[in-house]
Amino acid sequence: MQTLERSDESASEETVSTLRRNVLRRDRTPREYLTLGVGVLVVLGLLVWSFFESKIRTTSVTVVVAVVASGGIWVGANLLFDQVRDNYQRFNAIAYAIIGAVVGVLLHGNLITVGSGEGFLPWVLGPLAGAASFGAIGLALALNDDPQRRLAIGLGGSAAIGLVISLLIRDVYYPGLDAVAIVAYTVVLAAIGGGLSYLRKRPPVGGVLLGAALGWLIGAWGGADLGEGSIATSLVATLPVALLIGTRLGISKNLDYAERLALDTRSRATIFVGPALLFIFGLLVIPAIRTAYLSLLDRDSQEWVGLENYTSVFTDRDSLDLENWTWMFTSVPFLIGIGVLVIALIVGIQMRRTTGYAVEIGNPTMAPLIVGALLVSFGVFTALRGTIINNMWWVVVVTFGSTAMGLAIAVFADQRRGERVAKSIVFMPMAISLVGASIIWRFVYAARDISTEQTGVLNALWVGLGKLSTGSGLPTLIITAVLILILLGLFMMLAYNLTRYGVGRAVVPGVLILLVGWFFIRFIGAFGTVGVGGFKVAPDGEISAQTVNFVQEGPYNNFWLMVIMIWIQTGFAMVILSAAMKAVPTEFIEAAKIDGATDSQIFWRVTLPQIATTIGVVVTTTIVGVMKVYDIVKVMTNGQFGTQVLANNMFQEAFSFTNIGKGAALAMLIFLSVLPIMYSNIRRMQREG
Amino acid sequence: MSKSRWRKLLALLMVFGLIAAACGDDDDEATDASEEAGDDGEGDGDGDGESAAASGDFGGAVVTITGPERTDGDIASINDALNQHFEPLNLTVEYTGDADWEANINTQVEGGNPPDISFFPQPGKLADFARAGSVVELTDGVNAAIDENWAEGYQLDGNVDGVQFGVPAKTDLKSIVWYQPGRFEADGYAVPETLDEFKALVDEMAAAGGAKPLCVGIESGQATGWPFTDWIEDLMLRLHGPEVYDQWISNELPFDSPEVQEAMQTVVDLWTDENVFASGGTISATSFFDNAQPLVDGQCYMHRQANFFAGFFPEGTTFADDSDPDTVSVFYFPDVSGDRPVLTAGTLAAAFNEDPATMAVLEYIATSDYAENRQRILTEFLGGGLSGYLSAAQGQDPSVYQPLEQEFLSILADAEISRFDGSDLMPADVGAGTFWSEGTSLVNGDTDVATAAQRIQESWPS
Repeated sequence: MQTLERSDESASEETVSTLRRNVLRRDRTPREYLTLGVGVLVVLGLLVWSFFESKIRTTSVTVVVAVVASGGIWVGANLLFDQVRDNYQRFNAIAYAIIGAVVGVLLHGNLITVGSGEGFLPWVLGPLAGAASFGAIGLALALNDDPQRRLAIGLGGSAAIGLVISLLIRDVYYPGLDAVAIVAYTVVLAAIGGGLSYLRKRPPVGGVLLGAALGWLIGAWGGADLGEGSIATSLVATLPVALLIGTRLGISKNLDYAERLALDTRSRATIFVGPALLFIFGLLVIPAIRTAYLSLLDRDSQEWVGLENYTSVFTDRDSLDLENWTWMFTSVPFLIGIGVLVIALIVGIQMRRTTGYAVEIGNPTMAPLIVGALLVSFGVFTALRGTIINNMWWVVVVTFGSTAMGLAIAVFADQRRGERVAKSIVFMPMAISLVGASIIWRFVYAARDISTEQTGVLNALWVGLGKLSTGSGLPTLIITAVLILILLGLFMMLAYNLTRYGVGRAVVPGVLILLVGWFFIRFIGAFGTVGVGGFKVAPDGEISAQTVNFVQEGPYNNFWLMVIMIWIQTGFAMVILSAAMKAVPTEFIEAAKIDGATDSQIFWRVTLPQIATTIGVVVTTTIVGVMKVYDIVKVMTNGQFGTQVLANNMFQEAFSFTNIGKGAALAMLIFLSVLPIMYSNIRRMQREG
Repeated sequence: MSKSRWRKLLALLMVFGLIAAACGDDDDEATDASEEAGDDGEGDGDGDGESAAASGDFGGAVVTITGPERTDGDIASINDALNQHFEPLNLTVEYTGDADWEANINTQVEGGNPPDISFFPQPGKLADFARAGSVVELTDGVNAAIDENWAEGYQLDGNVDGVQFGVPAKTDLKSIVWYQPGRFEADGYAVPETLDEFKALVDEMAAAGGAKPLCVGIESGQATGWPFTDWIEDLMLRLHGPEVYDQWISNELPFDSPEVQEAMQTVVDLWTDENVFASGGTISATSFFDNAQPLVDGQCYMHRQANFFAGFFPEGTTFADDSDPDTVSVFYFPDVSGDRPVLTAGTLAAAFNEDPATMAVLEYIATSDYAENRQRILTEFLGGGLSGYLSAAQGQDPSVYQPLEQEFLSILADAEISRFDGSDLMPADVGAGTFWSEGTSLVNGDTDVATAAQRIQESWPS
């Protein structure tokens, strides 16, 4: 570079050198020097460290080798298929040689053939011999187009190789033949091969031959006791395989130019997609299939038990307990829910009469319908017990809760002052891990003996409220006074709204009066009630504080665990829905405003339909996440006190109790229940794409 | 490729490298070294290893040990106690305390990469490994050392189907009750000598209306319920004796048999609102380690918990110090028939290979010398006070232990019968599953004894 800079003779060189100088001598800011310095120091430090730490040294070598090797294979594959178009003979020879080398590695590397062993030369001998012999056949085939000569080359070459291999195999590996296995595998795999060829619209002979070869190989070698045979059985096991493959090669034709072009194009796709497919198969598909297989075996994966693991999941009292299903009819949320649904029905009939639709997005039927359904589901879920019921309860509550709250925050914060701050705060729990959040909430839910201070926020409030409502000191008086003032204010609002706007606007203050009034009556202990909050009255009339053990008192402890998930998931729903709302074209909203729509009408009739697909995405993502919920339950209760969920149960069975069969069955259950949702999600993505 | 992209690529590679390094195995060197040592021995004939040990030189062999004990003091004391002994013999021991030992040992064994020795906190797991052929039989030398230093009850913990696989390395004493002798004296209570006296004492204290007799808490996060199982085990041992206990843990005696139900009922009857102070409101909501403060605060008189519980008392608490009126001490959880059985736990060392170096280390671990040295180093490391370590090896010099720890030792020495924590010997489905969860339900009053016992029995894997 220095020489370049100094030689300023020709004009063109001058421009080049100025350019370089500009690039090289560009003034660096101190900051850049600092980063550079730190970077160099870090790299040097790591190098020194890795030099002394054997662990890092060996790992670095492994990483470099792995990266270079996979990169090399990828580049090599591309280079190889570059030859297809114009150097077909070379391509064919190299491709066959590679297959030969692989065969050599498999046989020689596993010390199956004579002459293999420790050391460099024995190691490379097998692969080299394989590459040379296979490569020669490949080249010969590529050079000859005459069918008979090709058949001769294929049969002759493969017979020679088969003979050599079968003779070279160490006598400890000579297979004892099992004729039934050979025939069965050969026939079955030949049929499969033929079928596949037929499906690919090729002559089925090729597939049959290859399938038969594979079948013979598996039947003769896989189904036999190694070491029991002789050189003759080795020949019987090997030679037919070689001849079948040789025939298959012999009857094939060399590719013409058009076919080579097609191969060139197709190969690229395979090379690029290959690694991804390999990962998906290796890390996802094969483990899933294996899990399915394990779920049909017993706890030690030894004996076949069929569907017993699945039936045990459904018949186990801990998984599914429907015994007390009648309890739902007496549960409070169920009864209130039914009441609310009746209101929904009445409103629906009314709406049908006036607008023609009983239920419609944003019409007054919606709210009582949803609330009623939710309350009824609570009644059902608290009456039934078990892991599966808990999981369903989680899905309903967390999905509805986080989506509804996320949507509400997105709507109400939209374009208000402090929107960003509010959203940041709501979003923040997303940054906390589920385990971390669970530990935080453990403290929120903590309960202590009533003789000591309550350390959990909720119990401190609850017990404090109990003390206030059953006490008679100044604080109790102050609260009573405040409650009376609030009630008075609400009554005035009710009266104003009634006279000014009519019945519709009176609903909110009316409901609030009912709630606050109920609280007030219980607080002062009127009409035979004795106060609100955490307290307990002993038979002798003595009043003492009473805590709620949120984590342990079933069945609502489940709900308190779900609150944690909602706390985290709301931020996610809010961010996605908020972004979707901001993407709704303002023209629509302006048009609606000009037409005289109210804010709520704009939301229900314009914005909501526009973001409906996004809500769908949020709901399905949440469902998938909740189906797999594990961390919260693990940390809070580990499934005790009736809070078990499928994922934690799966972990417990498989890894704590080493009941692999049942663990696998539970894993499959989660997988199968998530599958339809994933399917619909993927379908939607494809439609949108 | 632009410069910044190169940087990103480099950074990415480094991150991969570091992650891989973190996940990688740090036993490489050690295993290599010990393998080499082993190979050398084998190369020159089988007797050579023995002669190497006899001549006092292992040629720089390294023996790796893993185990669940992982405080700085534990790691330092295990390493130092072993290395001080083996340094002159040219052998290095590397102990790694593993927070996730239970899961990792499975992975290491399945991956064909186990340590040379591992400390097993559960005999059940050791038995699994022994039956699978992963851990090896002990040599005659090690067996002789165990016979010399350990009573039969402790030896049995490491015995699988009649063959010795485990070397007792640490003992936890569970059958003790923590109390304040000063307060007992002031309020006129005497240490009970029999289980009936104990029950009578509980009733007397409850009737007195002051502090509650017992502090009980069984909450322990994911393991909630285990202190309950300890009580049941202690009572099984007391009410029905060691033979029935052994039948019980092998399920020859079904879990729902009258004997077990009797033990469970005894616990339930003791754990009433009148008898128990639970700082978390209810017993199952009270963390097991939250019982130390109420004891010294005078909210309860007694707390039955293992010897390691000393660590949970507030700072400044003295132990078995007669000059301090508030001192905390222990008495033996009384028995019925005077045979003084103790419930214990602890660790067992077992080997994954037959190297002479490995066996030499096990042989030393079996001795009282090792226990003494470990205790001495641990006490020094912690700067005095209770170490939390205890060994039932016979022939230790008691002076390396603190007064309270000497108390533990004398209880262990007086015991004619010792049995390992039963829930650790049962299949995990029960011992770390239903025994905990059904026990918690029972304590919460959600089920009765018969139902709980029956459900535990149903969960016993066939």
